Amino acid sequence: MFKKRQVGRTIAAAVALSVGLALAGCSSTGASSGGDVKGGDYSGPKVTVTFWNGWTGGAAPVLVPKLVAKFNAEHKNIVVKDVPMEWGDISAKMPLAIKAGKGPDVAVAHGDDIATYAAQGLLLKDDGILKSLGYSADDFPKGLLADGNYKDAQYGIPWSVTPLGLYVNKDVLKQAGLDPETIPTTKDDYLATLAKLKTAGVQGEWVDGYVFTGTFELESLIWQFGGDLFNDDVTKATFNSDAGVQALTYMTDLIKEGYSPAKVAQDGDFNALVGGKTAFNWNGVWQTTNDALAKDDWTAAAVPQIGSEKAVWSSSTHWIFPSNKGQSKNETAAAATFVKWMNDNSAGWAATGELPAQNSVREDPELLTDYPKLKPFLDELPYAHYETVAPGITSATATITTALNEAILGKKTPKAALDDAAAKADQLLQQNASQYGG
Amino acid sequence: MTATIPRATTTASVPQQAQPRRKARRTPVATIVLYVVLTLLALAIVVPLVWIVLTSFKTDFDAINTPLNPIPHPFTLNAYQTLASGQQPIFLWFLNSLAAGVLQTVLILITASAGAYALARLEFAGKKIVFGVIVATLLVPPVIFLIPNYLTVQSLGWLDSIWAITIPGSAGAFGIFFLRQFFVGLPPEIEEAARMDGAGDFRIFWQIVLPLSRPALATLAVLSFLNNWNDFLWPVYVLLSPEHQTLQPGLAVLQGAYSTHFGIVMAGALIASVPVLILFTIAQRQIVDSVASSGVKG
Amino acid sequence: MPQPRPTSCCSRTPASTVADTLVSAPARRSARGGGVRRRTGTAYLFLAPFLVLFCVFVLYPAISGLWISLHIWNPLLPNQPFVGLKNYVDLFVPGSLTSGDFWQSMGNTGIFTIASVPFLLVIPLVVAAMLNQKIRGGAVYRGIFFAPYVLGVAVVGVIWKYLLDPQLGVVNHVLGALGLPSDIPWTVDVPWAWISLVGVTVWWTMGFNTVILLAGLKGISNDLYEAASLDGAGTMRKFFSVTLPGLKPVLAFVTTVTILASANMFGQSYLLTKGGPGHATRTAIMYIADEGLSQNQMGAASAMSYVLFLVLAIISIVNFRLQRDRSQS
Repeated sequence: MFKKRQVGRTIAAAVALSVGLALAGCSSTGASSGGDVKGGDYSGPKVTVTFWNGWTGGAAPVLVPKLVAKFNAEHKNIVVKDVPMEWGDISAKMPLAIKAGKGPDVAVAHGDDIATYAAQGLLLKDDGILKSLGYSADDFPKGLLADGNYKDAQYGIPWSVTPLGLYVNKDVLKQAGLDPETIPTTKDDYLATLAKLKTAGVQGEWVDGYVFTGTFELESLIWQFGGDLFNDDVTKATFNSDAGVQALTYMTDLIKEGYSPAKVAQDGDFNALVGGKTAFNWNGVWQTTNDALAKDDWTAAAVPQIGSEKAVWSSSTHWIFPSNKGQSKNETAAAATFVKWMNDNSAGWAATGELPAQNSVREDPELLTDYPKLKPFLDELPYAHYETVAPGITSATATITTALNEAILGKKTPKAALDDAAAKADQLLQQNASQYGG
Repeated sequence: MTATIPRATTTASVPQQAQPRRKARRTPVATIVLYVVLTLLALAIVVPLVWIVLTSFKTDFDAINTPLNPIPHPFTLNAYQTLASGQQPIFLWFLNSLAAGVLQTVLILITASAGAYALARLEFAGKKIVFGVIVATLLVPPVIFLIPNYLTVQSLGWLDSIWAITIPGSAGAFGIFFLRQFFVGLPPEIEEAARMDGAGDFRIFWQIVLPLSRPALATLAVLSFLNNWNDFLWPVYVLLSPEHQTLQPGLAVLQGAYSTHFGIVMAGALIASVPVLILFTIAQRQIVDSVASSGVKG
Repeated sequence: MPQPRPTSCCSRTPASTVADTLVSAPARRSARGGGVRRRTGTAYLFLAPFLVLFCVFVLYPAISGLWISLHIWNPLLPNQPFVGLKNYVDLFVPGSLTSGDFWQSMGNTGIFTIASVPFLLVIPLVVAAMLNQKIRGGAVYRGIFFAPYVLGVAVVGVIWKYLLDPQLGVVNHVLGALGLPSDIPWTVDVPWAWISLVGVTVWWTMGFNTVILLAGLKGISNDLYEAASLDGAGTMRKFFSVTLPGLKPVLAFVTTVTILASANMFGQSYLLTKGGPGHATRTAIMYIADEGLSQNQMGAASAMSYVLFLVLAIISIVNFRLQRDRSQS
């Protein structure tokens, strides 16, 4: 009887000990603390690293699996699982997934999401891996590293930048009797070209009321006219300033003047370019690898300067390390190894139509030899504007798209649409401030 | 979880198959008109589907530039190749949908029939309350349950799993209500005879009531399966990784991923349609009859 | 399975088969007044599997949803502060963050329901009436009409998004070939977006309603038609005085199901118009799901779902009263 008790107690102690060890082994599950990510090569037991990204278009769906396969082959103790989904789905689903422990071990996010995720306690700080990669702010375009910083901790490591550019269908210019090699760069030249196209029966630039790409064009124009989307501490929306009204009116005028049809569908503008129905399309650098363009004689240029300044919209992607409920330190360490490897092997990333964020990779002359069509986009970077960074900002910037949509469809005047959207945005900014503490 | 939350009105009697005894008084003109209209309607359904099939064999350039011409030139399997090699495992989605549908249907059949038997044939304390509450929830819009159930599913660790898309949906009141109405309409003599022979409740349920209820069970099975198959809103939010998607949200993901590559999206739609259309063609009579009787039996 | 032993004072009587009310069965043996054998234990055993699911996924959420609606509930933040009825009040205060969007989405739901239900009833009724005639291949037609429902909302939505694309879709090109305007913004602007949504919904679910109505029609005895013909009634007269009354219960069923389905519309808007232009085709369900699960404002979204429930309940009660008054008059 006594012996049995002793055995029982020993077993209980052993169980308690192993449970305690296991618990200690798990990284913190606290919402706001997160852990740190160290760089360096992972040497632990075999793990699977889930990797969420939004690279579903262009050449990326072919390139990314190849890169992942190469990494997996070179690292016997890490298996990276590539999970692509639409960008919108990631921002909708990832937060709650991370909370439930079903999020990825590493992901790529856009600049405007990082502060939100960090404020929601979803990310691990990655100052460690940044150091091990030897990066500092100067290694990236101005201000980009800071975009991944929240409350003095680094949460994002810049990966790529994706500015807007002017896509030109040279066949269409030729057919309209214009010189296909002369791409307008100033407002007057641009409008003159559109007018000439119109007399030749071509609607030269189709504008649409959607995020891709109407909103990007609108934001570029707002900056070009000297305005900004939000004030410096992101407490008020300023996109309804005179600059904003000028920008939006310019776009609705394109419809009024007959340079664009009235109710363009989502992607209708790009499809029209591909189909030879229009000459110009303001679209992102990622379209340079879209094989729908293969049959067209096309080129890309910097977006024309319609306003008083040179400016263009650009997005950015960053590596982030989610702090899942029950996140295993091993998996995060393996993910860090993956990120380091991707950075070291990022020369070929330009094949996806994104510009590598790392200055040294991007400014390498080899890049232009391999991907000459990227030159105009690279030239734009000095005056590119990246996303506004503040927790919860995406809901406020979404109001810009609503205003654009309403004005383009003629439901409201540009000023009314922008004013209504700004009022909404202000309320959302207030809500964000009270929920996230700014 | 979705809703077809029908409100049963009467327990109508089984429909008779009317024998036309009068002479066909239909004029030839009327006959022609009838066939023409029906055929036009049928074409309205078939033609878009055929168009999609053909579009799936077109190149992107072709799809954009010659939309009026249904014949692909060149004919290409590009879309299918992309889908086969790509990151959107459509066939897996089909299997997931099938598994989820079957699982939820079985769950509903078991729980609803057992519960309905109690409600129909047994007297017990609290019966009125239980039945009343069940009936009351029939009228509650499913969106009420959306957010709380999301939180429940999340805390149970079921996010991104088959449990999330089957178990919450099995809890609805329709099945148990539907079967209860049916059981109540069954003639009690056989059961009473068995009871007097000493059979217990479970045996009566299993060996008498259930076999007698085959048409109702079949109807419920078909409705439940179709309900789960068609479920869209809930899976969109609770399923996360590509390999756990079911067909409906998966297709939405596909469309988002390949929005301008129409060939691919249409190929995906086709792959999603063919297996289920084949199943439907085989079982058409039973399926349609089951659905039909759901309205008549109330 | 062991029989539960009756207590000594109650005698066994056969259970009655009549519906809800407790019935005192005709006592063949002496029974205490109204004594029916209660088998509570067994009953709850039978009910247990269902009740477990029901309590967890229906009863509990109904209550916890109410609780959530009284808070600012962002699951990604550490605190969920209690705010009483603020979420509800905000829905009725013009200019608040949610009231404009919410009532717009409710209005959109109303527009869609009112626009779609008549078509979803009349067209299937006519088709069912046609299929009820003696024709060859009736089963084939029936199968074809039902097939879209089997495909699922996503397949249907994806297909029609392409066909209705204003620039690339076949529909506009066919219209152009016929000499009609060929730039109709089917998925881009209202009111055409509504036409598209209703049209696609009809295409998708017409067969379902048709099949049920057809069964109902087959259940109407031919003798009634004979009698009406003998009285000299023409086709129209027969339809209104024989068909419709005979179809009443089935029609009521189909109407209820259709109205509920339309009021809960989500997939078609999500796939075809994404709620656009602006938010003009965003239904209440879309808005609530987005607000609660994407914007993480679960408190506000829960409150909205209860207000939607209230509105639907009021409409149902009014409708029920009207029906009752009509049948009484």
